[in-house]
Amino acid sequence: MPILRVHNMSHDFGGLRAVKDYDLEIEMGQIRGLIGPNGAGKTTIFNLLTGIYTPTEGEIWLDGRRINGLPAHRIASMGISRTFQNLLLWRHMTVLEHVKLAHYSKIRYGLFGAFFGTPGRNREEAEIEEKAVLLLDRMGIRHLAEQVVHNLPYGAQRRVEMARALATEPKILLLDEPTAGMNPEELEQIMEIIRRVHGELGLAILLIEHRLKVVMELCERIQTLNFGAVIAEGTPEEIQNDPEVIDAYLGRESVI
Amino acid sequence: MPLKERISRNLSASCSRVPLLGWLCGALIAVTLERFAGTPVALALGLPKIPALFGLDIMLKKPILVPNAVLYVLLVYGLPMGVTTRSSISLTNRLAALLFRFPIAVTVAVHLALLYATLHLWAGSSDYRALVLKLTLIAVMLTLSLNVINGYMGEFSCSHPGFMALGAYCASVFTVGLFVDDQLFGAVFLPPALGPFLFPVALILGGFLASFGALFVAIPSFRTRGDYLAIISLAFLFIVKSMIENLEFVRGPRGLSGQPDWADLPTVFLWAVLCVWSINNFVRSTIGKALNAVRDNEMAAGAMTVDTRRTKVVAFLFAAFWAGVAGGLFAHVLRYVNPSTFGIQNLAEVLAMVYFGGLNSVYGSIVGAVSISLLGEALRPLEIFKWIIIPLLLILVMIFRPTGLVAFKDLDVTSLLRPKQNQGGKV
Amino acid sequence: MVIFFQNLVNALQWGSFYALIALGYSMVYSILMLFNFAHGDIFMVGAYIGFGVSIGLLALSSSGALAMPNWLILVLTILFSMFLTSFVGMIVERVGYRPLRNAPRASAAITGLMIGIILETGNLALLGARRVSFPSLIETTVYDVGGVFVTNKKIMIVLVSLLLTLALHLFVRRTKWGMAMRAMAFDFAVVPLMGVSVNTMIALTFAIGSALAAAAGILFGVAYPVLDPYMGILFGWKAFVAAILGGRGSILGATLAGFLLGFTEIFVAMIFPSTLRDLIAYSIILLILTFRPHGFFGEPYSARLRL
Repeated sequence: MPILRVHNMSHDFGGLRAVKDYDLEIEMGQIRGLIGPNGAGKTTIFNLLTGIYTPTEGEIWLDGRRINGLPAHRIASMGISRTFQNLLLWRHMTVLEHVKLAHYSKIRYGLFGAFFGTPGRNREEAEIEEKAVLLLDRMGIRHLAEQVVHNLPYGAQRRVEMARALATEPKILLLDEPTAGMNPEELEQIMEIIRRVHGELGLAILLIEHRLKVVMELCERIQTLNFGAVIAEGTPEEIQNDPEVIDAYLGRESVI
Repeated sequence: MPLKERISRNLSASCSRVPLLGWLCGALIAVTLERFAGTPVALALGLPKIPALFGLDIMLKKPILVPNAVLYVLLVYGLPMGVTTRSSISLTNRLAALLFRFPIAVTVAVHLALLYATLHLWAGSSDYRALVLKLTLIAVMLTLSLNVINGYMGEFSCSHPGFMALGAYCASVFTVGLFVDDQLFGAVFLPPALGPFLFPVALILGGFLASFGALFVAIPSFRTRGDYLAIISLAFLFIVKSMIENLEFVRGPRGLSGQPDWADLPTVFLWAVLCVWSINNFVRSTIGKALNAVRDNEMAAGAMTVDTRRTKVVAFLFAAFWAGVAGGLFAHVLRYVNPSTFGIQNLAEVLAMVYFGGLNSVYGSIVGAVSISLLGEALRPLEIFKWIIIPLLLILVMIFRPTGLVAFKDLDVTSLLRPKQNQGGKV
Repeated sequence: MVIFFQNLVNALQWGSFYALIALGYSMVYSILMLFNFAHGDIFMVGAYIGFGVSIGLLALSSSGALAMPNWLILVLTILFSMFLTSFVGMIVERVGYRPLRNAPRASAAITGLMIGIILETGNLALLGARRVSFPSLIETTVYDVGGVFVTNKKIMIVLVSLLLTLALHLFVRRTKWGMAMRAMAFDFAVVPLMGVSVNTMIALTFAIGSALAAAAGILFGVAYPVLDPYMGILFGWKAFVAAILGGRGSILGATLAGFLLGFTEIFVAMIFPSTLRDLIAYSIILLILTFRPHGFFGEPYSARLRL
């Protein structure tokens, strides 16, 4: 059964149809790509899948459960997580706090524990911290745990955002331009992290990317979006040679 | 190395080696000294009596006595404290380490007991001191609870005086109605002996009423933020004030008096400690950190499984609860309450304390509340200048440290109470 | 019916004050994304400056040096006070807001609040607790229009307010400065690239807003001669609410909302006991804001100065 199934999803902003009849099926462990020119609607699709917008039409099924219309935090706790194109980190919080907070929905102690520091809460907080530190270790940023994020260099911030997304223990991870703004060395590192995460955790991954090198190397299948509609879908080789895609996207100012 | 630098290096080095236990013991000894030898020392220094507020109160009334007052403070507070803390560094460190081996609750209790003893002795010498201390503790509660909303959650809420008012009136109606022979509420309903035990109930009820009121601000906050929420909270303030003024049941603008004298120093102290402790627990927990996430980026918070609505409701209601309790205590300290207390003036004061002391910080709220309260008391003789100096001070702080003096600093009880390493002069 | 129109006239007058003050809030907000909490107190300062100017002009006139009819004194008072108060506004901006241009907005808001308090206390310190009385410069003539009693003062107040609002509209739409202001409201950063000094434009915005508040202050003094240092608090905060209600940055919105607030207060007082006035008026406002959080003409994330 596919981990994520989207059927005929469309979304309007006022009079503008930003996404038209979008379909998607991803199985556990697959890496899919979503490419297209700027403004095609890729991030909008991510926003729809994660519940930031409720689709005007269509249905989204996560792990067999229908999620369209649910609040974003519910959807996130059901196993879908994401990073953001513009790095939406929490300015004043430390790296460790970012990763710990992603555990929010799994917290068992309630307000009583929060207010009165019960042993149960202390134990759980210790567990959360342990898990968080391990994750930071995996992402290679453990040494930055106590740093406040807005002091960090861009590459480190990207890793923090990915670590945070992974901390929700998702079944499917949506990455919105994870390599934006990176130099070739950082690019390789991020791709390595994505491969490792995919390999070790067996997640499904949906990737929005402008750098075709990344998309071609990592993704099994790619969808190309233009003006809100999928204009081509297939393997990297097929997409590379698809005239529609070349016309809509590759023909324009292409990136690396 | 120049002498001045050497002295300051030595000073800060030795200061950093003193555990909190040492400071508290030093303070206790100083106030005990004052209790027994204070008056003779004061008279000898040319002061008419013990200066009530560290000489701050003399500042404006008889400025010529300021040097005498300063000398007094140095002699009676500074010297004993300095000498005892310095000479007992190893002893207090060992004691602190000893206490540390027990569960944390034990060392906390010991420290609190010492703190309370110090405050009690200090306040014992005059009613004025007791009053100032109680009002300062209440200010700490108000400041910290407002910081939860404005600092940790980054809103601009103007509704705190409203929460305070709800708590003050609810608690007063409860105590006066049930325990006091009153024209308004009729004869005594319950035996007075039961009173002090039911006082916490009165305060908690006040807190709950304030929390209920907070829903009217919390729910709109789901859809609006920032400036719009400021307006809604402001409207709430006016509505509560207006509502009370129109309630003949509590004598409207004339105010309610006759509250029983149950808000003594130990009671106020305990509630303040409970407030600081529970709020600190909350903001340091992962659930509490959600407040920061909602402040810094609400959309990302939602995407990371944080229930932003629940977070806002909890923050508002919890903060309002403590504001309500503080209001109840306030009503019983002054034994009179009237709606004009809870208007724009009060709002400005409590906002000043929060932003002056520091956002998103328990230390900050304590610093802000204590400084502004004491400063306000010191400037009381010149009521007018109080409201020029304090705003001016705040403007300066806003210009040079926009988030307040001690912002974003976590209160970690364990590291606070820990014995300090005996290192050699490392600053 | 008569009562209705009677109250309508009162509401128009009351609303004029709110509208003029709300305009100042809106203008500053549209450019700086910031509410100037000292604005209500600038209204108060304007009223007191008006008081001073009118007393001075009256003395000048009666001493024979420069005899002027009272209506002329009133006009001159309004003009001079608007001019002088605009400087007060500019000083407030320079001292309190400019250093905080890059600071969190809450800090700037607090600064504004504190400046307002300083203005109030300063007034109290300088003039003492006794209240001053605005000199009477117009003979009150009452017109009976079909049973409704309208004073000439009320007519004048409403007319002057509308005139000033119209003047502001023309300024914003037809002059180079006004255009620059509108540009700044759209995109703050672009304006200096066009050769316009940001500091000058901001100072101008504060100046105009303060001048309007001063006009409101004097008109208020004409209608209700007794001034007190805290008059700005009540009016200031309510006009602030009106500015939000109108949608920040919208001149038309601020004006309409100011009048709406005036109407709400007067008509609520007509129907309910007067002590409930604030309670009900604010509850209505709260309700409106809950369902239309961005006010009538406001936009969620961009502020536009338009009419």
